[in-house]
Amino acid sequence: MLHSLRRVPIILAATRALLFPAAAVCLLVTFSPLPHLLYGNAQTQNANPAEARGVIRLRVRLKTGNAQRGLARKRFFLIKGSAEANKELIQKMQQQPLVSRDCYYQTIGASKPLISWLKENDCESVYCREAEIKDVEGAGAVPEFQKAIEAGEKQFGSRDIARKWLSVNLSDEIKSGFYRQQQKLLQTFLMDAERHSQAKVISVMTDRLGTAYFTDLAPGDYLLTNIVPTEFGEKTELWNCDMKVKPGDLATEKPFQISNAREKNVKCVSEERPIPACPAK
Amino acid sequence: MRRHPATLIVILIVLAIGLDQPDSIFGRFTQQSVTAQIRRTQRRRPPQRSAARAVDYSKFSHATKKHQESCGDCHKVPTDNWQKSRGFPDVADFPDHEACVSCHRQQFFKGARPEICTNCHRVVSPRDEARLPFRNLQSSRQFTIEFPHDKHQDVIARQHRLYRDNAQAVTFLRATFTFPEDKKPVYNNCEICHGPKTGKLEPPPGGWTDGFQPAAADVFKSAPEGHSACFNCHWKGQAPASEKCDGCHKAAAAYNAVGWSSRVSMKFRHSREQHVAECTTCHINITRAATLRGLKPDVPITACSECHNKAPSHLEISGELGQIDKNRQFVCVYCHTSDVGKRDAPASHYLIAERPQIKRQDIK
Repeated sequence: MLHSLRRVPIILAATRALLFPAAAVCLLVTFSPLPHLLYGNAQTQNANPAEARGVIRLRVRLKTGNAQRGLARKRFFLIKGSAEANKELIQKMQQQPLVSRDCYYQTIGASKPLISWLKENDCESVYCREAEIKDVEGAGAVPEFQKAIEAGEKQFGSRDIARKWLSVNLSDEIKSGFYRQQQKLLQTFLMDAERHSQAKVISVMTDRLGTAYFTDLAPGDYLLTNIVPTEFGEKTELWNCDMKVKPGDLATEKPFQISNAREKNVKCVSEERPIPACPAK
Repeated sequence: MRRHPATLIVILIVLAIGLDQPDSIFGRFTQQSVTAQIRRTQRRRPPQRSAARAVDYSKFSHATKKHQESCGDCHKVPTDNWQKSRGFPDVADFPDHEACVSCHRQQFFKGARPEICTNCHRVVSPRDEARLPFRNLQSSRQFTIEFPHDKHQDVIARQHRLYRDNAQAVTFLRATFTFPEDKKPVYNNCEICHGPKTGKLEPPPGGWTDGFQPAAADVFKSAPEGHSACFNCHWKGQAPASEKCDGCHKAAAAYNAVGWSSRVSMKFRHSREQHVAECTTCHINITRAATLRGLKPDVPITACSECHNKAPSHLEISGELGQIDKNRQFVCVYCHTSDVGKRDAPASHYLIAERPQIKRQDIK
């Protein structure tokens, strides 16, 4: 028994000498292009993959009376598949219960001056701009801001830091509640959309002129949508537009223009609804 | 068909590895292998004295396992010196001695000038308490920053004013880098973190190409270098709050930050009146960037051609491409310095100029 065990290393060395070259040859054969040439492959690689991607320049216009302007700083999403393929998702978007900005802040018991402060500069949250001295002192002061400043002053020993860091001492409901509410809605739809389309949803935000670029797009059908209706005056706007991306589509071509009014060059019109009434407390 | 060779390979590789490391599989049967294993272990394990010497205590590293406990175990938020150092609550100093001495008592009292002290102190002396600035810019970085541009842009976004018939009454977000005195910005935008660069620009390695030195405010925008742009919202409550350092600081292999980013269009001026616009007008992919990893400026040529490829007076792009047709040595100088201007123009330039793409080497 002991005698045969002594031979084990010799046998192992000999076997190793034979197996290593054999494994190396097999690896080379498997990963070289040779098998593909021999067996053939239905999926032929594109000679230049960059050529197969597209770019879409989105332009969003809003019309009121005779005036028409770009819809600035609004996020739009591209969901894989046509409007028909995403029919159920669109229905859900149309039926979603919408809580407007003003309604949200009223519901959480925000003061009238705070709601006016937000409205004054069309802000969705307190992060939209810095509170000025007139907003924290005097007759027009916002009570929530005053309280936050008092707390901040105690904490930091400086009224100026307390004002600049105002949001630190505001309640979560005030500083990010509306944003979180919107995000919760969005995330539900995005998860649904990604599960249904089996593809990542792409999103961009429009610039101040209402223009945005979707880049590096695989050719195919897409649904262009803002998912959560945009508040615009006393109305809300929800876009659900069919968009086709062809290989080599370029942003130099005509933009994909959408609007709330049917006009020349407008490829998709929003579904316009009045802002839902806020339920009484 | 393909499965059989793959299975064969896996079996062969396992056998080959097993044979290369016979002790792991067959070792228990051989007395020799046990001896070999002991020998190998002895070879691998260097004497303890030399291991202790190998540690350089003058170079603190967060990569050391013992240094990866909770950040708050060592770092105080804010440090006592914040008012003097920063003017806003911040982590403005190294941790106190207690954070180190529980493990490093031996190194603290080693010799007249313990090397461990140089991590924080300017001079190693019991009479001099002066510390290096925190963070020490001379040391390599051990963390990368995670910042989602997309989320932040959503948060500072605003609602949309109902436009009135009278166009004069319409107000728009003036999201620019420069504001005339009479028009104060009322909205937060990219500028809350990326203001114009000030001071004198350091030349890139190798000096200024063609001797062209841009003004600081014309080139890159500044980026936050401390917590001032973060803590005003993320001090407490708003996650990631100031105590949760790893919300933004992600441990990385030590690296030295590059002082100079490459710039393709060196002559582009951010501060030129016609170029003053919202950042995302040209930097088109920023609003979809959830991380800083792989983030590029992403300015498409169409952002330039809106103005610089307009007949009859502004055909800068087409004009220079036309010059290359005539003379392959021609250097594009309107936007570029010669290091870039002498290269072949990219396909995108020819596309927007509606010219066939050519390579300089093909021009006779």
